Amino acid sequence: MNAPARHESYVLEDGEKSVELTEDTKIPNAATIKIVKQDHTLGNMLRAQLLAMPQILFAGYKVPHPLHPYFIIKIQTDGTITPQEILEQACTKLIATMSNLETKFKREFSYKDVEAGGVTAAAGEDPYGTAGGAGTGAWGRGRDYLDF
Amino acid sequence: MQAQEDVEPTVRIREVKKDRVNFVLGNVDLAFANSLRRVMMADIPTVAIDMVEIETNTTVLPDEFIAHRLGMIPLVSANCDEAIRYTRDCICLAGCSFCSMMLELKVACDDDNTMEVTSAHLEVVPFPEEEGSQDPGEELSKRGEWFGHPVGKNDPNVPPVLITKIRKGQELKIRCIAKKAAKEHAKFSPCSAISFEYDPYNKLRHTTWWYETNVEDEWPLSENAKEEEAPRDDEPFDFNAKPNKFYFEVETDGSLGPQEVVMKVRLRPACCS
Repeated sequence: MNAPARHESYVLEDGEKSVELTEDTKIPNAATIKIVKQDHTLGNMLRAQLLAMPQILFAGYKVPHPLHPYFIIKIQTDGTITPQEILEQACTKLIATMSNLETKFKREFSYKDVEAGGVTAAAGEDPYGTAGGAGTGAWGRGRDYLDF
Repeated sequence: MQAQEDVEPTVRIREVKKDRVNFVLGNVDLAFANSLRRVMMADIPTVAIDMVEIETNTTVLPDEFIAHRLGMIPLVSANCDEAIRYTRDCICLAGCSFCSMMLELKVACDDDNTMEVTSAHLEVVPFPEEEGSQDPGEELSKRGEWFGHPVGKNDPNVPPVLITKIRKGQELKIRCIAKKAAKEHAKFSPCSAISFEYDPYNKLRHTTWWYETNVEDEWPLSENAKEEEAPRDDEPFDFNAKPNKFYFEVETDGSLGPQEVVMKVRLRPACCS
């Protein structure tokens, strides 16, 4: 009855900001970033990417509550770059890896297409080919159970 | 750590079949590979029955039982990025042909045998268009011939999904609305299973094998172990080692082809960064 709309967990509302940055008041070169409508899929990937960068002193993320659709990520850098900039760099790198992976996948799939003579191409568009309609073929297929 | 940065990811597809793809992903982070898996499982939209209007149900199963079963039936969703809108983005008031599919199930048993009601009885019916709706959408032209139909309906080699069994005098009259969504419910997932493995020899000790007498006998190596070098008996534990090769097998339920599932991944998490 008063359940929230189901897509609220992954679709931004009108005017809602997806990223919110709070600078740390006590630790130098540190910030906490709240990312809304995202979960471990992005959080963990981003954290791992940040840790692989040499300017990072600390990066960690948490999803404070499984029912609240956001995570927070804490970043501390060595001062040569701000947390915001390094986060942007990390995202750019991830996107680059993603598109690189996509081209690789495309190429691999096209090789497979040639090998299999187009079988997989059909699978991409229409997984069950163009075989004639079975329609209501299953009608009255029941076995000989007799009604009493 | 930096060594991994400039290395490009590698992909080797080992097998593609109608409903599955098996590939090896290399030179990426464990977190990245896991995100790929998570996106394929949860974030790819498909079409599934989402609202059910029951006119007559005199079967032995209660209404909600049947409604649930209808929701789980995979519907052909190829190209659903372009072929259908999200209801929340549509201008219609309560569903139209651009954001939903209508399916009907009208079955009655009047002979003496038990009848099986299956997904093959589900018929896609055109949406009753309300007057004066001049929607310029081009979604309808992007749909394949079988879009929105239960998977396997056009293929006699695919057994249909059993919904219920009815006897003489019982009847089922149902109208269903199918919608596009992702993540909201497991029924929208195009994957029936994704297997994900790395480090088949457990060199990294990410897991502990429990055993009674002998580890080797009780934990047979997987097929993927052939891809990697077996550790020597005297090999010291390398605590700096990182997983580098990930073995995937993506199995779909037929609503999308395996190629489409894998290729759609990039579109989703990238949009959020």
